[in-house]
Amino acid sequence: MHEGPRVSQALLHVPKDLGPRLAQRVLPPEERTRLAAYALKDAGLGVDAFGTRKDALAAAYALGYLLHEHYFRVQSRGHASIPTHGAAVIAGNHSGVLPFDAMMVATDVFRNTWPPRLVRYMVDYFVYRIPFLGVFFRGVGQVPGTRANFDGLVREGHIVGVFPEGAAALGKPAERRYELYPFSPGHVELAARHRVPVIPFGLVGAEEQQHMVANLAPLAKILRLPYVPITTTFPWLGPLGLLPKPVRYFIEYGEPIHVDPAVLSSVRIREREVERVRTAVRDLLRRGLAWRKEFERGRS
Amino acid sequence: MSDPPPTLRPTPLSVLVTGVHRRLGPELILRLLERDDVDRVLAADQGPCPVTLHGLDPARFAYVPADLRKRRAVDNLFLAEFVRDHPLDTVVHLAFQGNPLGYDIEGHEFNIHATRHLLDASLRHGVGKFIFLSSDAVYKLGPRTDFRVREDAELNLDPDAHPILRDTLDAEFLCRAKMDSETCEVMVLRPSGVFGGGVISGINLLFESDPPLLPVGFDPMINPTNKERLVCDLLLAVFLHGKGVFNVAGPRVGPISEFLRERNIPFKRVPGPMLRPLNKLQRMLGKTRYHAGFNPGRLFYSLVLDDSRFTERFRRAAPLVFPDPDAPCRATLADVAMMPEPAEADASRK
Repeated sequence: MHEGPRVSQALLHVPKDLGPRLAQRVLPPEERTRLAAYALKDAGLGVDAFGTRKDALAAAYALGYLLHEHYFRVQSRGHASIPTHGAAVIAGNHSGVLPFDAMMVATDVFRNTWPPRLVRYMVDYFVYRIPFLGVFFRGVGQVPGTRANFDGLVREGHIVGVFPEGAAALGKPAERRYELYPFSPGHVELAARHRVPVIPFGLVGAEEQQHMVANLAPLAKILRLPYVPITTTFPWLGPLGLLPKPVRYFIEYGEPIHVDPAVLSSVRIREREVERVRTAVRDLLRRGLAWRKEFERGRS
Repeated sequence: MSDPPPTLRPTPLSVLVTGVHRRLGPELILRLLERDDVDRVLAADQGPCPVTLHGLDPARFAYVPADLRKRRAVDNLFLAEFVRDHPLDTVVHLAFQGNPLGYDIEGHEFNIHATRHLLDASLRHGVGKFIFLSSDAVYKLGPRTDFRVREDAELNLDPDAHPILRDTLDAEFLCRAKMDSETCEVMVLRPSGVFGGGVISGINLLFESDPPLLPVGFDPMINPTNKERLVCDLLLAVFLHGKGVFNVAGPRVGPISEFLRERNIPFKRVPGPMLRPLNKLQRMLGKTRYHAGFNPGRLFYSLVLDDSRFTERFRRAAPLVFPDPDAPCRATLADVAMMPEPAEADASRK
């Protein structure tokens, strides 16, 4: 074995069998079957055209499963809205300082569809400038949010995850919890262009996982990041302060929205369709909050 | 509007190949001379004829040393005795000073003037096809780069880009300005990194380094081609009608480290900011010819070319150009779903 690959594996990737080994140890047999059933379209060297790797997926799913099942103890419903095949856009609210909400939605969809479906998020570019992080995101099938990438994913029949509020919504201050930031129109335009449905979802819980006090905007600008958070625990407890509280997540998927193709020719219709998706997400959030209340009452 | 089906250009062809001191040039000439539908090949470059081209049939091949920076020297190629009865109808322009080592103002003049004079002369002398081999380095690289880069992707127009990159774009623009010509089909091919012994391409020079250096925490996706495949692509471009800008790439996509691993090439990872100084040190010690400063983002961000347009327009028509199913190019392009064999197509038409 050459030193180069050894060093690179140590520095860049987890060892190739770590993902499968982790999956073997963490996942129950039915979840391992699910993972094995995920079909990766090999582009030549064990990765698909987007750079997704089966070993990275195994590691990520093992971690996602642990968090989904034991840490965030996710409750979810409305999975019938998620298509079992073909492309779709899945769009919802974003919050929580670190994007555990995205990870939990992806895990939830993977766990509740057969054959399992991987949500591919349109990720902010800054991630791909950061060593290791960009490679990791690419390895688990997440791509930079460009139009061509969206087109490619839809053409290959994937579910594309979008947070129309943008990455800035992750740094939502505590006083704006469960308020939706304005939605960008890209998702409805792209959905209309490809004639694919938008599946709205509302996620309750992530907003309480961190208490955002302030955003160090000047530092964020220097570091070319969307925000630098000051929370009740960060930076006081160091990187550990970024860990979320183990709040229970409630995810509800709404009925698919078929976007009016006229959004491509009229700003007014585009605004109307964006508002339609936003209203659907807002309604799902309200229902989710009521569901949580009901759930907690039932437990007490 | 969809493209018309690919058709063969009238043969036999009389071809001028410039830049035969590159590895690709001699390979292309040998493949051209193997064919009956190529009448003669004229090769031109600075300096003496490369050894690999010695001993070829003088009735079909001639080498002319020429300073392509000079308009008169370029004109003389088209007026050479060798092609007087068989006027040149195809020009394959491979002459480009693409190696940052030793690049200077003369290199710049060579890159730009050679392209301009060859293109002008081609149009004046009734050449039917002009092919310029560009590079994938023309694309802007960064975290926003698409997972597959199409020909209409953003170009690297940064004024601080390496002068060779600017030359490549300038030469491309000269060609693009003439793409409306009704008599001459002007084509620009942008190959992804090219593998092959001694090939001067960034990726090949990196792989030939001792050891290749990669930045820690980055592992860009690539789809490199190789010398043999690129020659087949050039042959398709020579023999089939078509013009425009086309990406040409290899069939497999993967992280750069996987390509290294596949070839059992040991490599080292160094912190990103140290990459260029260490690469410079390597060059001073003669351990590499790769120039990390040439296209700084190359080892950080993915660049996978989308060559589906070339595949649709040219590679699928390979049976027209290589009717023999055992032709080497048919095996080289085995990943492509080709159109029916000419005989089958004829039968289905009947």
